[in-house]
Amino acid sequence: MEITTTLDCKGLSCPMPMMKLSKAMKGLNSGDVLEMLGTDPGTKSDMPHWCEKTGNELVLQEDIEGGVTRMLIKKK
Amino acid sequence: MSKTNEGSVLTQLFKTFFGKHWPVWVGGILLGFLNILLFAIKSPWGASGGIGNWGENIYSVLGVFSLENVTATNASLYGMLCLMIIVGSFIGALFSKDFALRIPPKGEMIKGLLGGILMAIGATIGLGCTIGAFFSGVPALSGGAIIFSFALMVGVIVALRYLMWEMEKFPKWSSGKSYTWFSAKGKGRTHTILGWVMVVGVGVLAYSYTKSLQTMTWFVIVGALFGLISQRSRFCIVKAFRDPLMTGESHGAVGVIAGLMIALFGFTAIKYFGIGVDVTSLRAREMTWVFPHFWAKAAIGGVIFGIGMTIAGGCAVGTLWRIGEGQFKLWLSGIGFLLMAPISKLFLVPKVDGILPQSMKFKSFLPDYIGYGGSFALVVAILLFWYWFVKWNEKTGKFSAF
Repeated sequence: MEITTTLDCKGLSCPMPMMKLSKAMKGLNSGDVLEMLGTDPGTKSDMPHWCEKTGNELVLQEDIEGGVTRMLIKKK
Repeated sequence: MSKTNEGSVLTQLFKTFFGKHWPVWVGGILLGFLNILLFAIKSPWGASGGIGNWGENIYSVLGVFSLENVTATNASLYGMLCLMIIVGSFIGALFSKDFALRIPPKGEMIKGLLGGILMAIGATIGLGCTIGAFFSGVPALSGGAIIFSFALMVGVIVALRYLMWEMEKFPKWSSGKSYTWFSAKGKGRTHTILGWVMVVGVGVLAYSYTKSLQTMTWFVIVGALFGLISQRSRFCIVKAFRDPLMTGESHGAVGVIAGLMIALFGFTAIKYFGIGVDVTSLRAREMTWVFPHFWAKAAIGGVIFGIGMTIAGGCAVGTLWRIGEGQFKLWLSGIGFLLMAPISKLFLVPKVDGILPQSMKFKSFLPDYIGYGGSFALVVAILLFWYWFVKWNEKTGKFSAF
């Protein structure tokens, strides 16, 4: 899957990751994929709610090394 | 049942609690019930007084401000309750592999400290925080708590506008170098073992008070449960106020509404039937958690607290459990809060009290004006309206920034 842009939210806590994500998604086109890297555990539970509300698709959510979570979000 | 099956059943149970985050409404309901329990034992949940107690102890040890009659934290019910919220959250974060020491970019650290300082000013002027003057104050049928709640909302709107302006104009303030240390590796066995050590520690601490101060035994246990439940469900009052206006999501608000509704039933019963009047007068029991802040002190304190918690990214309880989870930004909020609370109490509050007439800072117990039935119905109506609003807004996005 081709990644359109990467959003680095490492070290940020609530509400900054979701604020930055909402803003970044506005600048993307339908079908674009955003890669988000973050360390706030709250984003893991916020993301499915946010995707359900906005209609965007959470393609992947995985914990990678160093306490970082990687998420791929496809714009509707 | 074979040993293997028992093991797998216990593993499954552990995974149920610590595999995924709980829905916020589950946390809200459990916290609501525990708040009733705390009121039945002594008095409802509060946080700002406990954090202020830590600050007073620090200044007392340093010999600054010549503070008198400072209760040592290990003898302060609310000082210990707040401490145990951190411990409970730490345990929950260790078991669920959510714990890591997360150092954010510099701009975020400054916001954390500043937010904590503002929360301390708001809590000392408004005589309470999002817990004492809101999550407990509203079910306690306090008129001041209703004012405080609306003032919180005003503060959240102001600070949210600021955060969006900052993100637009100065995006570098919330970006830059960050560090994450001590995160769980592999299956997180070290974290799990440390978690069990902490559980034993909580048990030993609770037991140590059984002969001298039995109420503290309960406060230690309930405090740890508050922390664990809040961490697992990510229960946060700033989220309840902010998210509907930010992304439009309602789950944080629904969780808080659920907790308030549960506590409303219990608190009303305790006050109406005078449960616990053998140790105090009926009137004193009725006036529990009804503070002399109606209306101006609640309004001023609520707005300042609302701004502070939104900038910090954690309300009173949200700050405490995020400290336990290793969020360094909130460590700084906690430090700002505990260091500023005694200063504000000594120097700012007397000035505000000197300006405001008595008619702007009195205890307003709603049943004195509209009876128990009317007060109960009023709070239920406000909560139902809030629920309708966040659900309607989630669908329409009319009041959401994004």
